[in-house]
Amino acid sequence: MMDPYLVKDAPLPYCKGCGHGLVLRAFGEALEKLQLPPAEVAVVTDIGCVGLADALFATPHTVHTTHGRSTAFATGLALADSVLGAARLKPVVMIGDGGAMIGINHLVNAALLNADVTVLVHNNFMFGMTGGQNSAFSPLEFVTATTPAGNAVPPLDLAQVLVASRASFVARKITSDHDLTDVIARAIAHPGFAMVEILELCTGFATKWNPLTGAQLKQVAEKAGYALGVLREERRPTFGDGYKERGKEARREGNKENGAGPRFAAGTEVAQRLVMAGTAGERVQTAAMLLGQAAMLCGLHVTQKNDYPVTQGTGFSISEVILSPEEILFTGIEEPDAVLVVSADGARELERTGMLARVAEETLVLADTDIHLPELRCTIQRFAFRSATGPKTAALAAVAQWLDMTGALPMDALWTAIEERFPKEMESTRASLGKILQTT
Amino acid sequence: MMSTTQTGIQHERTARRQLVSGNRLVALGAVAAGCRFFSGYPITPSSEIYQAMMEELPRPENAGLALAAPDEISALTYCVGASMAGYKAMTATSGPGWCLMIETLQYGLMTETPVVVAVVQRLGPSTGGATQGAQGDVLLTQFCTSGGYTIPVFAPSNARECYELTQAAFWWSERLRTPVVLLSDKEVGMTLESIDVASFERRPVPERAAFSGIGRYVPYACEQLEEPPPFAPVGGAAKVVATGSAHDRDGKLRKNSPEVIELLVHLQAKIAAHAGDMAIFEMDLQEKAETLVMSYGTTARAAREAVNHLRAAGRKVSFLKLMTLFPIAAEAIEQAAEGCRRVVVAEENLTGLYASAVQTLLRDREMLRVNGIGNQISPLQIIEAMERAR
Repeated sequence: MMDPYLVKDAPLPYCKGCGHGLVLRAFGEALEKLQLPPAEVAVVTDIGCVGLADALFATPHTVHTTHGRSTAFATGLALADSVLGAARLKPVVMIGDGGAMIGINHLVNAALLNADVTVLVHNNFMFGMTGGQNSAFSPLEFVTATTPAGNAVPPLDLAQVLVASRASFVARKITSDHDLTDVIARAIAHPGFAMVEILELCTGFATKWNPLTGAQLKQVAEKAGYALGVLREERRPTFGDGYKERGKEARREGNKENGAGPRFAAGTEVAQRLVMAGTAGERVQTAAMLLGQAAMLCGLHVTQKNDYPVTQGTGFSISEVILSPEEILFTGIEEPDAVLVVSADGARELERTGMLARVAEETLVLADTDIHLPELRCTIQRFAFRSATGPKTAALAAVAQWLDMTGALPMDALWTAIEERFPKEMESTRASLGKILQTT
Repeated sequence: MMSTTQTGIQHERTARRQLVSGNRLVALGAVAAGCRFFSGYPITPSSEIYQAMMEELPRPENAGLALAAPDEISALTYCVGASMAGYKAMTATSGPGWCLMIETLQYGLMTETPVVVAVVQRLGPSTGGATQGAQGDVLLTQFCTSGGYTIPVFAPSNARECYELTQAAFWWSERLRTPVVLLSDKEVGMTLESIDVASFERRPVPERAAFSGIGRYVPYACEQLEEPPPFAPVGGAAKVVATGSAHDRDGKLRKNSPEVIELLVHLQAKIAAHAGDMAIFEMDLQEKAETLVMSYGTTARAAREAVNHLRAAGRKVSFLKLMTLFPIAAEAIEQAAEGCRRVVVAEENLTGLYASAVQTLLRDREMLRVNGIGNQISPLQIIEAMERAR
C-alpha cells in the first residue's frame, strides 16, 4: 500500500479480524484519495483500542484525548482554525461506541454548530479494551461480559440522533462495504460536520460470545432498525462561515461606561454607607448606580453591591452603596449611615438578614409611607415615595430625598448623572422627584 | 513582568472613573493579554465574564472568537482545542462548573497546553448558593489533579486586580505552557467599583516559546526540566503529537519508562522553579509587630481595614495580602511572619482552607483562623477574633 499518511507496514495493535484495522485502512485510503496536505489533517483519537491508532499515522497531526471528549477537542481546533486561522484544518475524530455515548453532547453540539469536524464512530457494540462490557450500542440479546444472559436494553440509533441534531453529513456503513473508503473521503471533504458510523466486529469478545460474523453485520443493523448508507448530505453554513461578519453587525455602539471626572464638590468628608431596599424590577439597582455616578462626579470612590434572590426579576432587590473620599476596602456594611426602604419585599429582606438590627441611633432611615418596619434604634422618616413618583421611581426618589436632607452630594451631581445616563427621561424624572422634594 | 508588591496605583481624585465590576475587568484583562478564544456556559456569579467576552472578542480590534458551549466540559475542551491550534484561550465558571472542568484541566496540564480558567466562587457544596459569595474552592482548584501537580492560582481582591491578575494568569499560562486558574469570588466579581480604567497598564502580551522550525519537531522535548518544550500548533507545518497519556518526548505512549517519569517530574518542576517569580502579594510590615494578618480575595479587604483600625488604636500589626495563592509565596509569607508570634489567616470558608495549606510554613507560630460562611467576613469579626485570642 502506497500511503504517505499511515506508517508503512506497521503492525496493528489489534486482534486478528478486528474491524478497527479495516476502518484505519479505509481512512488512510480516503486521505490518499483526497490528497490533503498532511499538515492540514489532525487525527483526534478517543480512548479505547481505537485510541491506539495515533502511532500509526506518519504525517498528519495526532491528538490523543480523554474518553468521549475527542469530538469537543476537535471542535475547538476546527472553530479556532475556521475563524482565527486559515480555515484549512480538517480534524478527524476516531472514536468508539463507548466514547460516542459519553460524549454524545459533544457530537450533538458539533453537529448543531456545523463545525468542520469528521467523526468516525467505530461501533463494535461493546467495550473491547476493558474486557467486553456492554455499551449503549449493544444489540438486544447481545452477550457481553456484563450481560451474560443477553442485553435487554435496545441500542441507540446514533445516526438518527445526529440527523435530529441537524448534522449536515450522516452515514452508517459496514466494514465490509466496498465503498467505505469513498464514503469516508466524502465525509472528510464535506464542509461542515460529518459523522460516519461503521459497524464492525470485536473479534476479541463479541464474536466469541455471539454467533456473529462479518457477513451478519447487515442483519444486526436490520434487527436494530438501523438505516445504512449515506443518510444525509447537505450544504449549510459552518459556524466559522461569516463569524467575523456577524461580529461586526453585533458590535455595540461605543462603550456604555463613560468615565466620569469630578465636576462637583462632595458635601461629605467621610464615607457614607447606604442600604437601598426594594423590589426586583423596580429599578433599585439603577437608582443606586445613578447615586454612584453622582458620587464619582464629585470625585468620590464608590462601591455598589447588588443582591437579589436566585431568580432574577422577582422578590427583593437590595443595593449596598458606599461613597467615600478614601479608597474603599471592606465592601459590606456593618452599620449603615442610611437605609432607604421603598417596598415591603425590601423591608422583609432587611429584617431577615439582620441589617435592620444593625441600624444605629444616628442612622437615617427613610421609608415609604405604608411599609411595615419593626421598632428601630432611630426614628423612621416616612415619605410617599411610591404613590408620589410611582414604584419604578421610588428608589431614585429616596436617593434624592437623602441627598436633599444630608447634602452629602450636591443635587446637581444627581441631575447630571441622570441626564448623562437617561437624557430622554431627564425632564419627567426631575418633575417626578420634585413632587417628593417639595413635600419636605 | 509583575513580581512583587504594590499593584495598586494611587487613586487621584481627578481620575475619570467608571463603575465597573470585577467580572467585566477579567474580560478586559483577558483581551489585553491577547486572549483570542472564549467558550462559556452561564453560571452565577461568573456569567458576566462570558457575556462581556461575547461582546468584546468579536470586535475587529480584538479579532477573537467567543461562543456558547453546551456545558462546562465542552467549554473548557473547546478552549484547549483552540489553544492547541495556537490561540490564547479562556473560559469562566463557578464551583459547580469547575467540578466538570477538572477532567479537561488535567488534560491541559498533561499535554502542556496553556489555558486560563476564571473561577468565580460561590457558596457550596454542590449547587450551594448561586448568589452567595464564598472562598470555598481554594483547595478544589489547587488539588484537582491526580498526583497533586501545582496549578498556578491567582486571587484578585478588587476590580483592578481582576484586570491585572487575569493578565498575570495569561502570562504564566503561556510562559510555562500550563493551565492557570484565576480564583475570584462573588463579591470581587459582581461588586461595582469606581475605577479609572484609562489608567490601566497594558502589560506585554505573553507569547509561548515557539518551535524554531529547524530539524524534527519533538513535541515534548525539554532540555531542562524547569522549562516548557517549544510549541508548535496543530495545523502548522511541524507534525504535532499530543497526548494526555503518559508519554515520552516524542509523545509516544509509554507506561513508566524513566523518560516518562522524568516528563512527569518536569510538569511539577517547571512550576516550582518559577514559584518565586510568580509570587504576587502586597506586604505592609510593621517593626516589632507580634501579629501578622494574612488574607486573600474579598476577605483581604476586610483584613486590611481591620489592620488599619488596630494600628489607629496603637497596635503593631503586619499585613500580607496574597494575590498568588499557588505556588505558595513561601518566601513572602516567611518574611512577613518573621518575628511574629501569631499569624491570623482570614478567609470565607468553614475551616480555613488556605490556612491549612500554609500551616507547615508557620509551624512554630500560633495560627488564628478567622473563618465563616454565609456572609462576608467583616473587619469587626477579625478584630474580635484577635481580641478573644490575646
